[in-house]
Amino acid sequence: MAAAMVLLPGENIPTERLPKPKKGKLTLGPGLQHTPPSTISATTAGSLQVDHRKAALWLEDAGGRYQPSVGDLVIAQIHHSSVETYSCALTPHTSFAILGQLAFEGVSKKTRPQLKAADIVYARVSKASKWEDVEIECFNSATGKAEGMGQLKGGMVFDVRPAFARRLMMGTDKEGVSKGGVVLLEEVGGKVKFEVAVGRNGKVWVDSGSVRETVMIGQLLRGADEGGWDVEGQRKAVKKALRDV
Amino acid sequence: MGPDISHHPLQGADGSVTFSSNLCSILAAANGPVEVQRRDELPEEAAVEVNIRPPSGVSGPRERWLESVVAAVLRSVLHLHMHPRTLVQITLQITKAPSSTLKGAIRDVALLPSLINASFLALLDGGLPLRSTVAAVFLAVVGMGEVREDPSEKELAGCKSVHGLAYNNHGDLLLSESSGSFDLAEWENIADQAEETCRAAMAPLDEDGVVMKGTMSSGPWLRQELTDKAQAAVAWREAT
Repeated sequence: MAAAMVLLPGENIPTERLPKPKKGKLTLGPGLQHTPPSTISATTAGSLQVDHRKAALWLEDAGGRYQPSVGDLVIAQIHHSSVETYSCALTPHTSFAILGQLAFEGVSKKTRPQLKAADIVYARVSKASKWEDVEIECFNSATGKAEGMGQLKGGMVFDVRPAFARRLMMGTDKEGVSKGGVVLLEEVGGKVKFEVAVGRNGKVWVDSGSVRETVMIGQLLRGADEGGWDVEGQRKAVKKALRDV
Repeated sequence: MGPDISHHPLQGADGSVTFSSNLCSILAAANGPVEVQRRDELPEEAAVEVNIRPPSGVSGPRERWLESVVAAVLRSVLHLHMHPRTLVQITLQITKAPSSTLKGAIRDVALLPSLINASFLALLDGGLPLRSTVAAVFLAVVGMGEVREDPSEKELAGCKSVHGLAYNNHGDLLLSESSGSFDLAEWENIADQAEETCRAAMAPLDEDGVVMKGTMSSGPWLRQELTDKAQAAVAWREAT
């Protein structure tokens, strides 16, 4: 299979590579910018990925700081609270994201969760624009349900690269094969009981029975991210780590 | 082929690279878009801050001048309007400088192309949005009007003039600093040669990803580096 086309910043996508959408709308993902009327240029160096079914294109690139976009699930840490909101950090050295104190499932002014500084929450980005502060919420405002979001108690948070976090969140296809090429968590889950939450901002929260198991899972995740292990390599590393536990 | 580059040597910075040419080695780190001090923030674009550290001693006016030149070039390369009221911060540590036989303006001009190349690669490693690809080259006119590209220190002895130029992939000239004695015709000749080298650095590879014919010694080094890096990033896709 020919390698996907690699674009350098400032290069335009040749028109023959563009998918032909049925409704005439093309979706652009990260790494691409549209200059009206019909030029699409790259803003980073990456390989061009095309999804013909969804008529979407994007540039796949390993690096970079997480940029919030609406609908992403993230792990946020409360920094401080003010009158009606919590200010949370999604990534270091950026402005805080705002979490409304009532943005939880089934709360009223009397029954809301009392979160303190340094508490961790699993939230969804509800507003992200270059002009305003990022806003997050701990429930799906469309359905009103928590859907797994809310405070994460106990456990430990590990840092991974946002691109790796995306692979972890890709899920599995019809045959149950992981679409992101990461089988670590399933392999470990066969032997060890643990809870995990993956934030698209490059954070993974793990809570297991003992500190040793939690740290082992964190080390495996970091190894797979930085070492670039393939599926076989991941299975070997998990076997080796489980022997010691 | 071309300069010696290693990607992402620093874990703490968003993007980092070490870049070595014949004359100097630079360690570059890029961070951004991060929060900016109120006094530096710009309402519609990102602020750019460049810090240059010499290999020994304290930084002084020489480094301030280099920083202003590098910052001006990077402002043309970055997509500043995508992240208003933020900061893009680049730190350049010169780890190996030309020896003290090179003095004054010649030494400064010799450092500039490596500083620009290193900054660009660090910004790219950090995933910051860029408008174009830029390549910089250092040329010296030695002896009887012969032009040498990326010369070593021995070749630089007794040179008539030195020039640092950078072009982007739309053909725009982004940097032109020179020192020594030369006339306009000579400079135009140098500029043409620099444009050809920079274009060659970004030239498309042939189908096997192998180096195409290169008129200069370096060939498409920038394209090759970035292609290898991008393909390594999606290696997991090919495997599944």
